[in-house]
Amino acid sequence: MIALLPLLVPLVGAALAALAGERRGALVAASLASTIATFAASLFLPGAPAFQRAWLPGLGVSFSLDPGGAASVLVVVVALVMVPTALVAALTVEERPGRFVAWLLLAQAGLGGIFMARDLLVFYVFWEGTLIPSLLLLGAYGLEKRRAATLKYLTYAVGGSFVMLVTILALKALSGAASFALADLVLAAQDLPAGTQAWLFAGLALGMAVKLPLWPLHSWLVDLNEQNHPSGAADVLGTLYKVGGYGFFAWALPVLPLGAERLAPLFIALGAFTAVYGAVVATSQTHLKRLLAYASLSHMGIVAVGVFGLHVAGLNGAVYLLAAQMLSTGGLFVVSGMLYARRRSFDVDAYGGIAKSAPALAALTLFLVFAFIGVPGLANFPGEFLSLLGAYQTSPAAAVVATLAVIGAGVYGVNVYQRLFLGQQREPVRDLGPVELYVLVPFVAGVLWLGLAPAAQLERIEAQSQVAVVQLAGTEPPADELALGGAR
Amino acid sequence: MTFPPVLDVDWGHLAPALTLLTTAAACLLLALFQRDSRLTAGTALIGLFTAFVFNLSVFMSDSAGGASFGLRYLADAPALAFNFVVILGTALAVLVSYDQLSRMGMDHPEYYPLMLLSALGAVVMAAAGDLVTLLLGLEVLSLPVYVLSAWRTSARQSEEAGMKYFLLGAFGSAVLVYGAALLYGASGSFVYAEVVAALTSGGLVSLATAGAALVLVGLGFKAALAPFHQWSPDVYTGAPTPVVTFMSVVVKAAAFAALLRVAATVAPEVSPWLQTALAVAVAATLVVGNLAALVQRGVKRMLAYSAVAHAGYLGLAVLAPDHGGVEAAVWYLTAYTLMNAGAFAVLSLVVDRNDQGDDIERFAGLGQTRPGLALALTVFLLSLGGIPPLAGFAGKVMVFSAAVEAGYLWLALLGIATSVVALVYYFRVVAAMYFRRPEYASPSFRSSATDVAIAAALAGTVLLGILPGWWHDAIRGAQAALGF
Repeated sequence: MIALLPLLVPLVGAALAALAGERRGALVAASLASTIATFAASLFLPGAPAFQRAWLPGLGVSFSLDPGGAASVLVVVVALVMVPTALVAALTVEERPGRFVAWLLLAQAGLGGIFMARDLLVFYVFWEGTLIPSLLLLGAYGLEKRRAATLKYLTYAVGGSFVMLVTILALKALSGAASFALADLVLAAQDLPAGTQAWLFAGLALGMAVKLPLWPLHSWLVDLNEQNHPSGAADVLGTLYKVGGYGFFAWALPVLPLGAERLAPLFIALGAFTAVYGAVVATSQTHLKRLLAYASLSHMGIVAVGVFGLHVAGLNGAVYLLAAQMLSTGGLFVVSGMLYARRRSFDVDAYGGIAKSAPALAALTLFLVFAFIGVPGLANFPGEFLSLLGAYQTSPAAAVVATLAVIGAGVYGVNVYQRLFLGQQREPVRDLGPVELYVLVPFVAGVLWLGLAPAAQLERIEAQSQVAVVQLAGTEPPADELALGGAR
Repeated sequence: MTFPPVLDVDWGHLAPALTLLTTAAACLLLALFQRDSRLTAGTALIGLFTAFVFNLSVFMSDSAGGASFGLRYLADAPALAFNFVVILGTALAVLVSYDQLSRMGMDHPEYYPLMLLSALGAVVMAAAGDLVTLLLGLEVLSLPVYVLSAWRTSARQSEEAGMKYFLLGAFGSAVLVYGAALLYGASGSFVYAEVVAALTSGGLVSLATAGAALVLVGLGFKAALAPFHQWSPDVYTGAPTPVVTFMSVVVKAAAFAALLRVAATVAPEVSPWLQTALAVAVAATLVVGNLAALVQRGVKRMLAYSAVAHAGYLGLAVLAPDHGGVEAAVWYLTAYTLMNAGAFAVLSLVVDRNDQGDDIERFAGLGQTRPGLALALTVFLLSLGGIPPLAGFAGKVMVFSAAVEAGYLWLALLGIATSVVALVYYFRVVAAMYFRRPEYASPSFRSSATDVAIAAALAGTVLLGILPGWWHDAIRGAQAALGF
């Protein structure tokens, strides 16, 4: 039952937030109560028993959630990030804040389902269901060009995921699996020839590559971040919802190892290119949110390189980087909202020298930027390092190319900090208020936690990576390892 | 020694149909003395509830699966499940009509009796085990709907809709009769089971193929499968919205009940090209319905083309009756009835008293002016678009998985490609409601009866989506008990 809490608590919270509506006090109370309760509950996830009930038995679908493995790490990080994010939304959204928070919390429930699902169709239900809140947040609360951005996002996301749905149905039909459960699919799909697996893998990959995102399917992301509500809360959700890498890790690789091996050269090349491309384009951006979007695109390229190195270190690193990314990128999007609240602009050149008048804001931003660009000791470093290390074992060329993105990160990271906070101060801004400080503390704490103590989290992730690795090695998985992966 | 009964009838199986018939007659009598149609509507609802109870008792009992009149009137699992869909759709339509008739100036007391008679026809069609019963059901279903389409006598559009529907419907029926005659010529029987038996023991397969093809064409007219769908957008646009609520779900359910029966029994016994032709028709329906819906300005006409598109999705299930297509079709129609009738119910509150004003601009800002209405329509449209966890998603999974299992992967891929298009036009309405400011005065008409219909459809769409298993199991379980 503990596995259900990260889904049920946010659902209740969403209902309360919708009821609270315009009353700020009630809304802040509802969002804090819901997110803190979810965070507390998610701390008990590691080692909690799996949850399983028949859902659509006629088609072999069961509602099964397993809080073990990578899920326990990712759900905790999501829950941690949501505490300040929902608070920001409750405090700063001017019109219809209740619904904004309600959509955020609904999306949080969906994310919990995505990470914990151990039935491929249930995974899809959460995957697709979470799209609606993020679409409505963009469309109803975004800036002037939000409608074009929403349509683009909708088309990319739905186009990819509908192909994924047919592939999921075809996967069960072609492999003759008894159900959509991970364990059944892993066993049944072993007998599929490599060619069939490659086609099925490509079908799943289309949906996942859009969400990752990988070049050339990334352009929705930049518009989404640029047009989203200026508070940054919706962008944090966008960051949390980049679940494509997790989809590859938890489903596509273990179920279709031969297809993965055949297509890995293509995807690792795309990943390396995405990493470099994102970093290069980010250096030339002057719009803060577009810069963050391209920079996080670059990180997602490194995630892809880590996953498609098909090596255990890279897999661990990729998922770790996903978790770290939620904290560092999420924190920077919240900072961008705070800057916007001060000067009504996302243009980097509209700032400059504000470190003098806002030293606390500058210090915390610098900290988050350091985490973002992969400074050792902070959250992103272990993930980036392991991703590239793993990829280097199997495809050194791609790993070397992707490493260039890390250098690029130093350039745009330091550059943006310098343009925002250093140099000639034109006009002073107010420093962090006490509430803003509380909002940034969870991000900073999380960044330190993931940066300084990666071992325990990596161990949990590795329990699940082994399922994929064993499949990729082409041997029959021992029963206990499948159980670690949380199949039954 | 025992004698066979003089009349081979199980009255229990006929009870739902007979209830609808007697209620229709009672409503007609009542209408003679009572000019206020609301009393008739109440009586109709009571009759529908009684029919529901009778149907439920047969569905739950062991006697399900029997037949009356020598296999001509079947009470098997699909037929009984279709009865639920028909009763549900009719009840929703009655609730939507309740306050609308007087508002739209079409309050004639014969309205509800005609609707009940049409529902009776649908029940008979679903139960038909032979071609003559099928034709009887089809005519009982269709004639009242022709009249109801032209119910708004003050509007040329409505008259034109009724006329067009009548002429094309009559043409469709004629084709069906001709096909039935050819099938009889090939096999010497009208009863499906006997036709199949005659064909397997060496009947005239080529003649039977022609006959079955014509029967499918006739039913394709009713189901609005391309290329026989052209009547439906015009009729849906011209007919009064409460009537469209009825016919978009009940007529479609009846047509697919009959199609499914023919596809599962007779079609596999004739030349395999018939199956291919049906698959091509389904593909064309998916493409035409969705692409045409994309370019519509009016929401009503968009929903009309979307109804054509959903005939395509149902067609996927019809192609795979042996791979779970039967329960998929019944389940899909249940979900479709809830979400489509719900969408039309919301539409009936947005249009003015002349049934005009369904442009997408009229929906702008509805999220602020009528939040409840906007939320309900959002759920219905997203469900029609197949977004989880709503009923339309589970239905889509069922029909697509039936098609994939039956080897129609290409058709499933086409269906998915067109579904992306579908989501764009559904979402356009949602976007107008939430992302734009109001451009017109918010619709002022309120009707608690329509609100009840919307609330029921909304609850059904959400609950069936979150818990799809029980109804799927119920249909399958009943089927398994019948040795399907």
